Amino acid sequence: MAKLPCPAPEIVQQYGPSLHTIPSGGWVRNPQDEHLVKTHCCFCGQQCGIQLRVNNNKVVGFEPWEDWPFNQGKLCPKGIKRYMQDEHPDRLTSPLERVEGKGFAPIGWDAALDRVASEIQRIQGKYGKDSFAVLTGASLVNEKAYLMGKFARVALQTANIDYNGRLCMVSSATASKKVFGIDRSANPWSDIVLADVILAAGANISETSPITTDYFWRARDRGAKIIIIDPRMTPIARNADLYIPVRSGGDIGIFNGMLHIMIQRGWIDHDFIAQHTTGFEEVARSVEKYTPEYAAKIAGVPPAMIIRAAELFGPAKTSFVLHAKGIEHHSKGVENCIAAMSLVLASGRIGREGCGYAMITGQGNGQGAREQGGKCDQLPGNRDISNPEHRKYIAEVWGVPEESIPQKGLSAIPLVEAIHEGKIKGLISICFNPIVSLPDANFTRAAFEKLEFYANIDFFLSETSRYADIVLAGSLMEEDEGTTTNTEGRVIRHRKAVLPPEGAREDWKIICDIARRLGHGDKFNFSGTEEIFNELRVATKGGVSDYFGITWDKIEKNNGVCWPCPTPEHPGTPRLYENGKFGHPDGKAHFIPVEWRPSAEMPDAEYPIILTTGRVVAHFLSGTQTRRIGALIDQTPQPLCEIHPQLATKLGIADGDYVKVESRRGSVVVHAMVVKTIRPDTVFIPWHWPLDRSANNLTVRAIDPQSFIPEYKICAVRVSKADAPHDAIASLEVQAGGVR
Amino acid sequence: MIRREFFIDYSRCIGCRACVQACAECDTHRGNSMIHLETIERRDTLQTAPQICMHCDDPVCARVCPADAIKKTPDGVVQSSLKPRCIACSNCVVSCPFGVPKYMAEFEQMMKCDMCYDRSSIGKKPMCATVCPSGALTYTTMEEVQRTRPGIPVNSWKFGGEEVTTKVHVMVPRETTRVEIDLIQIQPTPQALPADPYDVALMLEMAQ
Amino acid sequence: MTPARNSLRQPRLSDATHAMFWGLATASLLILGILTGSRGLRDFDPALVSYAGAAVLSGFGIGYRYAMWLRRPPTRLYWYRGWQIFLAPQKLLSNLAHLARIAWNTIVLQRFIERRSHLRWTAHWFLAWGCILAAAVTFPLSFGWIRFETARTNQEIYRAFMFGIPLGSFHLGTPFAEMTFDILDIAAVMVLIGVFFALWRRGHDHGAWSVQQFSDDMLPLILLFAISTTGLFLTVSTHLMQGIYYGFLSQLHAVTVIFTLLYLPFGKFFHIFQRPAQIGVNFYKQAGASGPQARCHRCGQEFASRMHIDDLKSVQAALGIRYQLSNGLHYQDICAACRRKNLALTQDGLWKSYDNRLRGN
Repeated sequence: MAKLPCPAPEIVQQYGPSLHTIPSGGWVRNPQDEHLVKTHCCFCGQQCGIQLRVNNNKVVGFEPWEDWPFNQGKLCPKGIKRYMQDEHPDRLTSPLERVEGKGFAPIGWDAALDRVASEIQRIQGKYGKDSFAVLTGASLVNEKAYLMGKFARVALQTANIDYNGRLCMVSSATASKKVFGIDRSANPWSDIVLADVILAAGANISETSPITTDYFWRARDRGAKIIIIDPRMTPIARNADLYIPVRSGGDIGIFNGMLHIMIQRGWIDHDFIAQHTTGFEEVARSVEKYTPEYAAKIAGVPPAMIIRAAELFGPAKTSFVLHAKGIEHHSKGVENCIAAMSLVLASGRIGREGCGYAMITGQGNGQGAREQGGKCDQLPGNRDISNPEHRKYIAEVWGVPEESIPQKGLSAIPLVEAIHEGKIKGLISICFNPIVSLPDANFTRAAFEKLEFYANIDFFLSETSRYADIVLAGSLMEEDEGTTTNTEGRVIRHRKAVLPPEGAREDWKIICDIARRLGHGDKFNFSGTEEIFNELRVATKGGVSDYFGITWDKIEKNNGVCWPCPTPEHPGTPRLYENGKFGHPDGKAHFIPVEWRPSAEMPDAEYPIILTTGRVVAHFLSGTQTRRIGALIDQTPQPLCEIHPQLATKLGIADGDYVKVESRRGSVVVHAMVVKTIRPDTVFIPWHWPLDRSANNLTVRAIDPQSFIPEYKICAVRVSKADAPHDAIASLEVQAGGVR
Repeated sequence: MIRREFFIDYSRCIGCRACVQACAECDTHRGNSMIHLETIERRDTLQTAPQICMHCDDPVCARVCPADAIKKTPDGVVQSSLKPRCIACSNCVVSCPFGVPKYMAEFEQMMKCDMCYDRSSIGKKPMCATVCPSGALTYTTMEEVQRTRPGIPVNSWKFGGEEVTTKVHVMVPRETTRVEIDLIQIQPTPQALPADPYDVALMLEMAQ
Repeated sequence: MTPARNSLRQPRLSDATHAMFWGLATASLLILGILTGSRGLRDFDPALVSYAGAAVLSGFGIGYRYAMWLRRPPTRLYWYRGWQIFLAPQKLLSNLAHLARIAWNTIVLQRFIERRSHLRWTAHWFLAWGCILAAAVTFPLSFGWIRFETARTNQEIYRAFMFGIPLGSFHLGTPFAEMTFDILDIAAVMVLIGVFFALWRRGHDHGAWSVQQFSDDMLPLILLFAISTTGLFLTVSTHLMQGIYYGFLSQLHAVTVIFTLLYLPFGKFFHIFQRPAQIGVNFYKQAGASGPQARCHRCGQEFASRMHIDDLKSVQAALGIRYQLSNGLHYQDICAACRRKNLALTQDGLWKSYDNRLRGN
């Protein structure tokens, strides 16, 4: 039922994405008519502090919030223009019902919610509980993330709930849990500044977490050395002390190679290893063969670079290791992260000032959302859904029988595959745009076309909403109270700046309304998000991510509180693993040996070029928010294919030419940007755009066996010069998937 | 009020354009961005550079203005041209040694960075220096910069024979007292930029 | 095209003497105009002598200030160049047509202000046309150039004269007559509307109020407000209050007008005389665009007209701006974008050579 009701250009005409360019009320603004609301940026896991200028229940601008310690007023272009998604002409102000051949038509709230509830009951009655799935998101506040987990397990009793953090953080989360015992960045960002060496792998910091740049440069001001590992020279790499242009998927070569040299030259902390870790011997044995030459071959870089990296990192007094999606988005993402963590453990430089490790969170609440139960295998408090004791505790908090809580369900990719196979018939989703964000987009589209019923909660009609039978008009971050947990593990407050526009509703109310219609109203009888938070506190009590001691009040007073915070008196825990005390039951960190293995799809004669994907600074994830903001589309209107002049010359491509990039799964036609700052065997396309401009038409549907993260960072493609496309999709505006 | 000053360190810039976006948000700019963000030569390098008005002691723009339309406030901030006077001749645009003034064809007026006068005149930081994620643009005290930065701030320039002193400082290595612009080779074409220090292919070959 | 350099020669007279000459010349011309226009003061109304006197003084100030302004090398250059281009014989006709077009858009409609802000345009349009209307009546009246008298045969008929020549007559009580007698009130109301819009804008625009200055932005509005309200009070006093306080009010009105006239050459109002230069610049740009273009030495792109760059070099020379680079190039031959890029590259170079020196040690 869920094929597009009418061709995409017709939907675009009515629901956008269209551009919002002038603030509500115009550029002439008068602070005397306004008040400021202190809150946080909704884009990215750094969760920078920002103040919104509000005039008469309208967000009309922003004002830097210099007193917020993390970013001290600093913002990236997304944060600055974020307020332009308020008062947006595309904003949904009524539930919509799919009308075959026409698109969508407004429908009353009661009718919409009744329809959703009855379809859930029909599908679950006919095909079983697990045939109805939930997809949720990591840009939701903790309260909503918690509510979605509870909704799936209590109201729907489906095992199949997963979230788009699956596309983001899960490799580092899994690795961190396995090695250190806790899934969280180990240090607050203030420790970066005190490090003598910073190693950042697969992290395009200047574009995807720009504020972190300042922390790097402040360390450099003190004399710190900076090592950047990335197939593309990123803006921060230009001024790094060592830039290693690794071949995508070759990171283990660098990490194991570095460890090999560090062991050989004695740059490891034997005391620390002996006292606070297990399994070092095995790892030492496993890296024996990673001589600089062998390692270099894997990494696709000269051995001298790996030696230099070890020389910089090995003997340092303090150091900080960070990584992001560049090493995580792999079918060996977890192993990549583990190899990086081995460097941290072997050096013994963790758990003290200037010494540590962090994973850079991509999504707004990437850290918090996965702790609260949006993940298919976790219950609130980072609890394990297959652990009987954990289940029992949560069952008690929720007031349901333990056996009613489903077991572990499918993660995002297998879940979509199950839809494709017809095993899952119904879906409700929020804060997730899988049509743009999942790999192998043609497969995702085919899967969504097979759904019997699909309900979608969103504030704009996203590319995925177009497949919905019912769209429920939800709320923006600034239209509701709540908390998120930033990349440091710091729980912070998002404040309500304005009410949702007439006709739209707060997301949590929508969820509770559906639960009520399904006969579970007593479990979803909340009067507000603070009440949800207080239930969340109890649910996380005694868990790894213990929020029990955190109250909204306390967050306010302390500029955020880092979990674990088990009691109201507890100050929170900005730095983990102090005094070598790790999260495993034995109190130790666990070295795990990892071997390099090839990626799922390596280049071959037919598809000889590596494609890697990523983000640009002006856009956020699937772009459903940022592609509607005029100033951000002005900054980066459309995706460009970065290609090295050597490769471009070989293929007869000049800068600005149209190129067709094809993989075994699909193709895109975009402009070429010929630059010397990328490896000559690799091309890069950012993935924020839909339809024929979607880099995910190309990417491979392969996942890491432990974290189930998709392999966005490497697949095989061929590239050829193309003619200007003139089809209906190409003629759309660039923000909708057209090309100029 | 603490005396804060403006410092530029081009080498910190990551080209994110936060300054450009925030500049337009200032109440005196009303949607028009006054700051420049140059991409030096994208094919060869990721180097980018922001440029705000340096607010010269004796501004060349004002000297070449036929309409007497460019004025400095008592606190040393050179303002956008006075709307009633500016005759849109662009003398300032082509003469400014730092390439700062913008000719706004729509309004037939020159507009330029006024250090967000609505903010800086009441002790707040200019927009660009507040948001800049890299610290390439910083508005702080002289002591703070001297204490934390490896270089030193300099505000003395020489363009050929023309000596210019500015309110805004640029970070340069110690021992530098003045930035002399005719020292650098001015490239006739972009192709003749220095031999590819940022070519990844070259890096991979050279270090072999 | 003859070089503009000649016009930038060091002037022989000192600036002040030169300006004094032009100030006196303007004032004398005005006096001469009053004398002849009022037929040897026969038509001159002695009650308005203070206005006429202030206008003459103001004329001196404007002449002085304008001459001073034209002494500045960049202004002088545009002045000469503007006339030179405008009066070029082969183009004079098309130039006149073009002049009419730009004058309509920039002076009459003031479109460029509208693009800055509708509110600003509304305010300015009312202010400008209110003032023009008032000036068109009051100056000829106070100079004795126009005169009204009742017809000898009929008290109900008014006759108007200009320079002593009868312009026609009209019946009292007709709409035309009402209009004529109320024209200053209409102008005053227009000005007040403009003042209201201007103040409202300044009150609601954070950007505007943070850069405004009392003497430049508020004082002119206050003066216009004072003239208009005291003028309106005179009408009120005459028609509604049997002339009560008329004497005092008319003196007060005179004071506001005279002050404004004397302020004219020095304050914001001087832009009325400067503004037409925009038209000259428009011709200059047009001529530049159709001539050869200057290419940037660094990037090779066209960035201005050759004439503009050459003229600027001579203006800069006259101002003592020394942009010659040591390698024989001229900094003025580098476009603004390349100048900005150069600054960053220079800093980069300083750091690189510094690092190399450190490494060398």
